[in-house]
Amino acid sequence: MRLSHLLLGLFLLPALLAAQPYDLLLKGGHVLDPRNGINAPMDVAISGNKIARVAENIAPTEAKQTVDVSGLYVTPGLVDMHVHVYTGTGNKDSYTGDRSIYPDGFTFRSGVTTVVDAGSSGWTNFPDFKDKVIDISKTRVLALLNIVGKGMAGREKIEQDMSDMDPKATAKRAKEYPDTVVGIKSAHFAGPEWASVDNAVQAGKLADLPVMIDFGTFQEARPFQELVLDHLRPGDIYTHGYKVQVPYIGEDGKLLPYLAQARNRGIKFDVGHGGGSFSWKNAVPAIRQGFWPDSISTDLHIGSMNAGMKDMTNVMSKILSQGVPLYDVIKMSTWNPAQQIKRTELGHLSEGAVADVAVLRLDHGRFGLVDAQKARVVATKLIVCEMTLRDGAVAWDLNGRTATDYRQAYGLM
Amino acid sequence: MKQTSIAVLVLFALLTACGGGEAPLPESYETLLKGGHVIDPKNDLSAPRDIAISGGKIVAVRENLPEDRAGKVVDVSGLYVTPGLIDLHAHVYAGTGIPGVLTGDSSVYPDHFSFRSGCTTLVDVGSSGHRNFEDFKDRVIDGSKTRVLVLLNVAGGGMGVDGEDNPADMEPEKIAAMIKKYPEIIVGIKTAHYPGPEWVSVERAVEAANLANVPVMVDFGGNHPDARPIGQLFLDKLRPGDIYTHMYSGLRVELTDEGKINPSMFEGRKRGIIFDVGHGGGSFTWRVAVPAYKEGFPPDTISTDLHTGSMNDAMKDMTNVMSKILNLGSSIEDVVRMSTWKPAEAIKRPELGHLSEGAIADVTVLRLDEGDFGFLDVKRITQKGNKLLTAELTLKDGNVAWDLNGRAGEDWETFYAREENRADR
Repeated sequence: MRLSHLLLGLFLLPALLAAQPYDLLLKGGHVLDPRNGINAPMDVAISGNKIARVAENIAPTEAKQTVDVSGLYVTPGLVDMHVHVYTGTGNKDSYTGDRSIYPDGFTFRSGVTTVVDAGSSGWTNFPDFKDKVIDISKTRVLALLNIVGKGMAGREKIEQDMSDMDPKATAKRAKEYPDTVVGIKSAHFAGPEWASVDNAVQAGKLADLPVMIDFGTFQEARPFQELVLDHLRPGDIYTHGYKVQVPYIGEDGKLLPYLAQARNRGIKFDVGHGGGSFSWKNAVPAIRQGFWPDSISTDLHIGSMNAGMKDMTNVMSKILSQGVPLYDVIKMSTWNPAQQIKRTELGHLSEGAVADVAVLRLDHGRFGLVDAQKARVVATKLIVCEMTLRDGAVAWDLNGRTATDYRQAYGLM
Repeated sequence: MKQTSIAVLVLFALLTACGGGEAPLPESYETLLKGGHVIDPKNDLSAPRDIAISGGKIVAVRENLPEDRAGKVVDVSGLYVTPGLIDLHAHVYAGTGIPGVLTGDSSVYPDHFSFRSGCTTLVDVGSSGHRNFEDFKDRVIDGSKTRVLVLLNVAGGGMGVDGEDNPADMEPEKIAAMIKKYPEIIVGIKTAHYPGPEWVSVERAVEAANLANVPVMVDFGGNHPDARPIGQLFLDKLRPGDIYTHMYSGLRVELTDEGKINPSMFEGRKRGIIFDVGHGGGSFTWRVAVPAYKEGFPPDTISTDLHTGSMNDAMKDMTNVMSKILNLGSSIEDVVRMSTWKPAEAIKRPELGHLSEGAIADVTVLRLDEGDFGFLDVKRITQKGNKLLTAELTLKDGNVAWDLNGRAGEDWETFYAREENRADR
């Protein structure tokens, strides 16, 4: 009896395997995959931790589990290019400590599968950061090394110390961790010298990595135009794109011409919302006149999490509110940042790619979106994260779509 | 002379208040929450009311409060205005760098979760014990904007690397001494995860609680229905006012084999045991909650058991857990009571959890959405529901701590039209 069952099972096994090559099928959604130019109703099949197939009408019989995502958008897992997650050290009032945030509590519920810590650590404390946070997080955490050796251990003194900006040591550390370190950051430098920017670029050259700049204190001796036209290289990134101090609009009410020049040079403009770095005063006219961001990011930390920023989908909704199509908003949150950090294996749904997937809902209604000054734009659309897969595994499921229905579980249907 | 006149004024105010007449309306107030429906279970209020706030206190809860006396008017029409939510079961002893335990990486920082889900007070239940409470206080509690209160673990090292199963480390005198040192923060004692079958962890917790005059919360650990049944816990071991958390887990025969709620739960409730949700990563099942509602056994208090193992799973956050209870059949008024006044009473902090005039201005504004929602339990079973609560606005001590739709903000065009806001700084 038992033997016959076993034999039957063995006999059926190959047939079952052949019939169900996929572990998970996301059925009925609208796929937005800018890297592959896809903006259409498609099903997405996943095997193990990889995207197996993206096509119209994949049969549910081919998958062990089918999840209905009709009415929703299926996108690559979002890449948040600017966060601060070097926490857990006990350092108070510092981004190498209590001002940073553990990533997993914020990422998946907002569709994010990859974050880039933007310079919380420098070459001296990166190994500690890796040990304390990066290695234990379910979120994929990449890092930009701060040009300051001690990272963001203190804005007043440590981050102003020009003697601790060592391009060689920074590049060396970056090369030791090529899987994790994806660039160099300069931030919070008061100036008026260009030391932090130029040393960061030098480190970037030595390590063959991009540089991201937070311009610290804006001042006349160190004009912003010179940063993006002279000091940075093509591919380098200016974050805090719509900060109120960035000159955008001239006397004629038009975009200043240097912006187009910088963009034509290949300088990337990142949102980097943060607690004080996104102003509708700049964002509305700039975006409406066509100066869109290259990448959307949160600058997540304790000062931004509960203020105007909130989370990744909220920041994306802000860009959407100014007339940027959803497809482009997704591009700015997936494939564009992946390219900027030269991690082209991320940010898309190509067959064979890692199965980092976000399922997003677009709500229609009346939503208030506030900037750093609590100035409010009323939007009619809001992006909400329904589901997040990381490496093919469910990491967030807002409405329990991947689970067993109660009525089914208890024989009530 | 001055003191006398103040005393007379205070006396007059008290007499006016006690006499049933309303205190005179303040000339001005900082913030006015206008047009909402106030639910304040302590004061038996569920009606349209405006709320005026000044100096971190509730100064008036009345109909049609004048807008011209307010520094800022926040339109909350169509929304429920409630006391700031109190999450009676959370784990927030983070930041030590210790992997894999609730005295470290398995805990979360309170501010990251509280305000966005309407909570102004979190009670950390037993993450720390008397040996590491002060480290917890220094590392997390003192630096948090959230009001963090604490149940001290009966085990000296809390939920840390030393574990919670060593009776030698359960020392009632030391526990009570630490509680008496920090009466502002420590509101009770917790026993959890004790494998049993002995009663020692419960008994020592109650012993310490008697010394310190505080309640005990029990996570009952290992299941020993014969040697250590929950009936004996409710009827013999615990005292009225003690708290049984994880009530819908089904892990300790809360539901009998016949699918009935264990009769001892009803008997315990009659005796004054408080039943808490404590959702967590493994302690909320539709299998128990649905029959419990059929038999009329709702929770006394709603809580999350927030930690890294519950945050991204079925639990999610406080309003999600409240929505589950709402969809099970409790009224919105009861759900708010279970998340505000009841937990405040349970931890003997009656200054919290209500909107009486003069109370601390911890206020939550909730939106109740109608639609098609799914709610997971810890067994990965989804129950459909048509109601969902979302935190729109959270005030802590009168200050905006969360504002989902920028209701306390200002239209960007009028804001930037003003000269003082045009400067690049």
